[in-house]
Amino acid sequence: MTTSFTAAGQAQGRRNPDGVLFRSESLSKSFGGVHAVRDISLNIPHGGVFAIIGPNGAGKSTLLNLMSGLYQPNSGTMNLDGVDIVGLPAHRRVRLGLARTFQKIRLFKHLPVLDNVLAGFHIHHDIPAWQYVAHGTAFRHDYARCRDEASKLLTFVGLDGRAKARAGSLPYGEQRMLELARALATSPRLLLVDEPAAGLNAAEVEKLLDRITQLRAGGMTIVIVEHNMDLVMKIADRVLVMDYGQYLFEGTPAEAQLNPSVILAYLGA
Amino acid sequence: MSSWEHPRLVGPLDRSSGTSRRCWLLATMVSIALLPLAFQDSYWRANLVVCALNVMLAIGLDFILGYAGQLNLGHSAFYGIGAYASTLLIMKLGVPFWIAFLCGIVVAGAAGMALSMFAVRLRGHYLAIASLGFAVIVHQVLVNWINLTQGPLGIYGIKPPPEITLPGLPVISFGNSANMFYLIAGFALAFYVLLDQLVRSPIGETLTAIREDEVSAASLGINCMAWKVFAFGTGSAVAGAAGAFYASFVGTLVPDSFIITESFTILAMVIVGGMGTLIGPVWGAILLTVLPEVLRGFGDLRLVLYGAALTLVVLFMPGGIVQAAQIVRAHLDRLRSRLKSG
Repeated sequence: MTTSFTAAGQAQGRRNPDGVLFRSESLSKSFGGVHAVRDISLNIPHGGVFAIIGPNGAGKSTLLNLMSGLYQPNSGTMNLDGVDIVGLPAHRRVRLGLARTFQKIRLFKHLPVLDNVLAGFHIHHDIPAWQYVAHGTAFRHDYARCRDEASKLLTFVGLDGRAKARAGSLPYGEQRMLELARALATSPRLLLVDEPAAGLNAAEVEKLLDRITQLRAGGMTIVIVEHNMDLVMKIADRVLVMDYGQYLFEGTPAEAQLNPSVILAYLGA
Repeated sequence: MSSWEHPRLVGPLDRSSGTSRRCWLLATMVSIALLPLAFQDSYWRANLVVCALNVMLAIGLDFILGYAGQLNLGHSAFYGIGAYASTLLIMKLGVPFWIAFLCGIVVAGAAGMALSMFAVRLRGHYLAIASLGFAVIVHQVLVNWINLTQGPLGIYGIKPPPEITLPGLPVISFGNSANMFYLIAGFALAFYVLLDQLVRSPIGETLTAIREDEVSAASLGINCMAWKVFAFGTGSAVAGAAGAFYASFVGTLVPDSFIITESFTILAMVIVGGMGTLIGPVWGAILLTVLPEVLRGFGDLRLVLYGAALTLVVLFMPGGIVQAAQIVRAHLDRLRSRLKSG
């Protein structure tokens, strides 16, 4: 079932020869005098979980916002599967197969759970323009397909049966899962997850890890910004460690744990 | 991230079935057919026509405000643009009514799109001020461009829409207010059905997503700017149609008919009815057109009563008439189940 979420993205993808899905070179972003991200170069391979870690204020979320298009970089290049995405607005990047969740949950909290997911199908509707005014067969087919896929996604994140609840009324952990379902509705190839474990209890973190593992098994590439080292050790294939907006280390989680400069950044001198 | 809170309705979005909607459509058509027969005197018939015009204005504004969440306080400007564009084409260039009517719709819609494009970075209160400013500018242009609009003197002798001759039927003339009501109410119903189809399609989901959170909407691939322009264009085009009908119904056109307070009246109709639903503003428009007429017996006190009623609704029933109906229905359901159980 997990594979179906990525199928649309995979079909249109032109793979980079070197197996790199997302590549950035000397990416920088500053706010006034604060260099939030300085000279970051990244190679995120197809498939797997790529974690971005670092102490508070290391620039992880800013980097994610640069990737998703919420911010535009001051300098540097970004490239998603061969397409230059610098300057491309966030909504255009979604069509290239890039989706995200937010650190501070940004659901449509006054709308029902189902409607939150349905909005995620925006780029996948298959309706001739005139049928928006005179609903016909294609419209009804699309309507049924979207509701069917939405309920599959809600089942996947464990929110089946909550479709009619108001999104803002869900407990925090379920809101995080709903945001994941909404992002998956866009059928991403590259999913950016910003601090998914923040505010979750141990059981909810387990559930989240399980879903991310399933998505990875389905071939999705996942970039996860995370604070929680234990979680990163469990799930990540590669980690990028940042400190003060700069590159500190890149490698496997096990290597990161042994690296003296990473230890220094985390524990302080 | 808008700085104003959109009032929310209780309960899930209306997803009534196709059959019940067809029943309502039929009931509405029958009511439209019967209303002029129930009100024979010309005063109330004129009020019926004004009701139909206000319904058009209210549903157009609701599409922009209630669905796309764009705080538009310049709706009177689009009304005026539609009225003056169509009338000037008829009077100055001798364009046939129905072509001028279409032009009025297009020009008003284009003005709405232009305003939203200029105001693309403005949200909430800032957009409200910008749209209000737009309405003031349009009103001032209508007052001061005397060569074109004859300013405050106004344009007189605007003819009603041309007679329609259908084979086998008597000639339909729009000189009488009953036929005028049928025409305008028919168009109001058509626009209602059109907007209803739009908001029940994925476009409705897209617009409400923008209303709720633009950053989230963009993260789902929604081009917020393009859809806001679409919403503004559609809503103001409907106002343009109302304007073209207004001119041909009243027969005279003065700029003060489209003064900014008219925007607030339309806004009040949308709020009192229940923004974010299409049926609410229809009832809001009917209520706020009829109420001042009914209260006329109270003299100047009617303005106080009208203002008090508006304030109470906004304070205690931010979802308007629709919310009130939902509450009443919920109480009835509870009562019914209690009666059944014992």
